[in-house]
Amino acid sequence: MDNSHDKSQQVRRALLKAAGLGSLGALLPTLGCGGSDPAGEATSFALGRSSATATALPATGISGRVVVVGGGMAGAAVAKYLRLWGGAGVSVTLVERSASYTSNIMSNLVLTGQRSIGSLQYKYDNLVNRYGVKRVQGDVIAIDQAKKQVKLASGAPLDYDRLVLAPGVVFTYELDRGGIPGLETAAAQARVLHAWQAGSQTTALRKQITAMPNGGVFVLTIPAKPYRCPPGPYERACLVADWLKKNRPGSKVFILDANPGITAEVHSFTDAFMNVHAGVTEYRENVQIYGIDASTMTLDTSIGKLQANVINAIPPHRAGKVVTDAGLADLNGRWASVNQLSYESNVAAGIHVIGDSAGTDQPKAGHIGNQLGKVCADAIVRGFGGLPPDPAPVTNSACYSPITMDTASWLTAVFAFNQSTQKMAAVSDSFREAASRSGDNYSKMNKWFSALMTETFS
Amino acid sequence: MRILATAALLGASLLAATAGAQTAAPPPGRLLASNCFQCHGTNGAGSTFDSLIGQSVDEIYKKLKEMQAENPGNNIMKAHARGYTDEQMRQISAYLSRQTSSSTSR
Repeated sequence: MDNSHDKSQQVRRALLKAAGLGSLGALLPTLGCGGSDPAGEATSFALGRSSATATALPATGISGRVVVVGGGMAGAAVAKYLRLWGGAGVSVTLVERSASYTSNIMSNLVLTGQRSIGSLQYKYDNLVNRYGVKRVQGDVIAIDQAKKQVKLASGAPLDYDRLVLAPGVVFTYELDRGGIPGLETAAAQARVLHAWQAGSQTTALRKQITAMPNGGVFVLTIPAKPYRCPPGPYERACLVADWLKKNRPGSKVFILDANPGITAEVHSFTDAFMNVHAGVTEYRENVQIYGIDASTMTLDTSIGKLQANVINAIPPHRAGKVVTDAGLADLNGRWASVNQLSYESNVAAGIHVIGDSAGTDQPKAGHIGNQLGKVCADAIVRGFGGLPPDPAPVTNSACYSPITMDTASWLTAVFAFNQSTQKMAAVSDSFREAASRSGDNYSKMNKWFSALMTETFS
Repeated sequence: MRILATAALLGASLLAATAGAQTAAPPPGRLLASNCFQCHGTNGAGSTFDSLIGQSVDEIYKKLKEMQAENPGNNIMKAHARGYTDEQMRQISAYLSRQTSSSTSR
């Protein structure tokens, strides 16, 4: 034990460039639970009431029943637009196990203490009251594709004409599916957090960060693409580095990236790691994680062994459980391949998959999840009216990225349907990042977030 | 030329509306224009970034073309405008020019 500890210390010093790092502080205190979600509404089957807040729906004469599973960015958007564009005859039932949605976007600001997790929670009241979306709070246990029914853990099954699955992602810990060795147990996962699904893990990671000593080590591992929110891990590294610089001097942030290079906003993040956070951030690409020992807080990697106060390991992802269980994750067993005009599954007629679970070349991101919801809603409404989908859909991704606690950059990308490949492809001239980080970008970031969430949930 | 194109679009949407009970095609340009809603609000009627309603089709189209022509720098909208063809911008502009509120799309 002593021998291996000394050896790992030697290797760690060899890895670390800067002098004067000091030794690792005491082992982290036992983590408490993160903040609890506020009590949600008890109502299920909340029908749209005609009230002053109800939005006038168009008289399309179209009718059909749609069940949407998953109330995140894509699920909320498709539910809203099925009603707003389909009219009152399109019945929409949104099944979501949580009382509210906690935004992943901006959740990194919880890590710096700039936002509370509660400020990132969005209820479904407006979807219900304005558009007449019916909400069921519960878990899906099975989909009966023959009967076209969604079976719930409790309550009667839901009949559908069209089903939209938008369950987001699950994190892969199973070794035989590419999980990082050492993280198979619940205990290890409670110590080595992902905090890549905003909620209690976010507040727990914040606690881990604030418990770091001066001269501490924070390690972030990034999985190979595709993963949710391409710029997200780099944003996290920047924010954590900025906070540590200000509050825990001498600390380091190691970014161990499985990818061959920074996957988004290359200029902005390269500048961030080389210049803005020089001396704190250490970025390494093409790193394989051979294993993580949660009890000693040691990583064994292709570039050597490293010991840390905090290890934030973002695991590989795959489509949400309801997609996989229904046999729709036909892309490497991880993602659902879909018709990119309508998001209808290529292996199950009448079932659409949108958001992070869908396997396309579009990034997995909230802004684009919202747009996929619209494309899918439009296609379903057209289908109910006997029309084929729009032959030339366009989608867009826009995202502001914090580089420090008060400056940001941004990325933008527009995607258009390519007739020969039958896939959405980036319009190259629109694939851009901000020329520089700025405080103005940072304030626009808050506006963009507010606008996006209002558009999706109201 | 532009006036005729706009009239043709309007004509198509009127025909669809009067067709009545079934298979009303979506208003032209709506799905394209919905790309704008995440920032500019549903139907472009938002209050966070610029509202897009109450402008003529020519005004909106001209603005989009101007943004497309300029070096984006730190302006996300100028970069974003490069993602759309002229025809798509015309359709988006025509759709937005018909909107008056965030309730029902036209």
